[in-house]
Amino acid sequence: MGSLRAFVARKYRTVKAVDDVSFDIEAGEMVGFLGPNGAGKTTTLKVLSGLLYPTSGTATVLGFTPHKREPAYLKQFTLVMGQKQQLLWDLPAIETFLINQAIYEIPRDQYAATLKELDQLLDLGPLLKKQVRKLSLGERMKCELAAALLHRPKVLFLDEPTIGLDVTMQVRIRDFIAEYNRRHGATVILTSHYMADVTALCDRIIVIDKGKVLYDGNFRALIERVAPYKILKLQFEQPVACEQLAAFGDIASCDGMTAVLHVPRSQAAEAAARLLTQVEVDDVNFEDPPVEDIIREVFAGRVAGLGTAHEQTPAVNPAGAG
Amino acid sequence: MRYVRLLALFLKSNLLMELEYRANFVAQAALGVLWAGVTFVSVTVFFTQTDALGGWTYEQTLVIVALSVLIEGGIQLLLQPNVDKIIQMVREGTMDFVLTKPVNSQFLATLRYARYSGLADMSAGVAIMLLAFIRLGYAPEPIALAQFAVMLAASFVIVYSIWLLMATLSFWFVKIDNLTELFRALFDTARFPVTTFSGLVRIALTFVLPIAFMTTFPAEAVLGKLGGATLIAAVALAGFLFAFSAWCWRRAVLSYSSASS
Repeated sequence: MGSLRAFVARKYRTVKAVDDVSFDIEAGEMVGFLGPNGAGKTTTLKVLSGLLYPTSGTATVLGFTPHKREPAYLKQFTLVMGQKQQLLWDLPAIETFLINQAIYEIPRDQYAATLKELDQLLDLGPLLKKQVRKLSLGERMKCELAAALLHRPKVLFLDEPTIGLDVTMQVRIRDFIAEYNRRHGATVILTSHYMADVTALCDRIIVIDKGKVLYDGNFRALIERVAPYKILKLQFEQPVACEQLAAFGDIASCDGMTAVLHVPRSQAAEAAARLLTQVEVDDVNFEDPPVEDIIREVFAGRVAGLGTAHEQTPAVNPAGAG
Repeated sequence: MRYVRLLALFLKSNLLMELEYRANFVAQAALGVLWAGVTFVSVTVFFTQTDALGGWTYEQTLVIVALSVLIEGGIQLLLQPNVDKIIQMVREGTMDFVLTKPVNSQFLATLRYARYSGLADMSAGVAIMLLAFIRLGYAPEPIALAQFAVMLAASFVIVYSIWLLMATLSFWFVKIDNLTELFRALFDTARFPVTTFSGLVRIALTFVLPIAFMTTFPAEAVLGKLGGATLIAAVALAGFLFAFSAWCWRRAVLSYSSASS
């Protein structure tokens, strides 16, 4: 019934996809946008790439106003979307490359050099001559990335570049992005809901939910703040008294044979050393709190005073990001 | 110059795509010629009952039929594939890739694809026209040929602009495949002289959906019956429609909302 009503009398309402999302990104930075589905990550990327016209506020990238779509700007960035492809489905990827070469007016020798480099980094080799429809998802993504980078863009907008890929291929793509950033000093803005993508690549994260920025700043700093402890997982040879463990850290769980302790980061090493000398331990394991949990804390609004913490944004050295 | 190079590259890549699916290509080309034949036969049957249609003889009407087949082929060659693709790209959000490229987006969206089987229709159109000339024992004067060239170009520009306008509607209404079907249904009237129709229909076919400018007037040109005023009107109409459709395209692009990731 609802659909029928919508067919006859369609109601429109204004949905604020992003609202007061403000940030500055330095050249060469790698920034990760984190947020659940529908948070406004993609919308923000679309505004930055000039596809959407912001109803209020401004966006400036490389000194250009994106929605004016000046060719000089369009030539300097690229957009890769894990869910959409620009490669011609029925033809080998190299055909799309040639068209992009002409569209971006890439000189012949520069095109050859770039293609050679991308081939070396991504192992494109035989993939380029195969029809795109015959490639696996991972192979296709490699070719998509290459097609998007032929014009050596200074700014990369990557929207879920690893979606649907297996773990090995995810790591491969991630390594490639890091290497590309290191070699060319390109600015990378990445959205993903795979936490690992963002943790591996980006020192700085911007957490968005319901169109608002919940956190903007250094990733490590966030962890320090939300989870200032390490998780110590213990397995004992013989049953131990749980109370005995309280001296080493907060007891998260303990059943006599195994225990999980939360130990302040600064004291973690020392606590573990003491523990090993005083208790018969079979196995000991240090872990960082799962990033998912940390982000969930941010989403739940349980982290006080984070807001749009621009002052927390440190200068990021892109070379260290890989 | 750059655009000419791009166009050549597009044509090459489309050719490769056609070659991927040879059977499809042959079937479509055969279908095109078959339809041209059906059109030809239906008009011929029509003339077994009458000697003239709206003041046009059988052979003269064949010239109009030839033009309708020729334009139908042009639509098949260029407009249908690109407009279909635009509708698909708007719906799926891959228009993102067109709009982030540093070339004119209208150029890239409307001239990117080609379906070469349309050339079969176009050849059939030329064949029907030659047949009409042979039956008439007629060879157009150079002046008539020049006028015809202008009128034919105007005709193609008018058809292109109307298709572009239909495509821009997809930015607002997303799925509009039926609209192009509607156009093709109305275009069936293009195989008859516009003078066949009377009253409001004739006015509509001249000024609202200017089918008269697509086939009847170019046919008058090649037959040496065209008035100078019609020629000027055709060029003006083509120029206006092209500018208007290009303006609508720019507006449409601004309101493009893309599909989610």
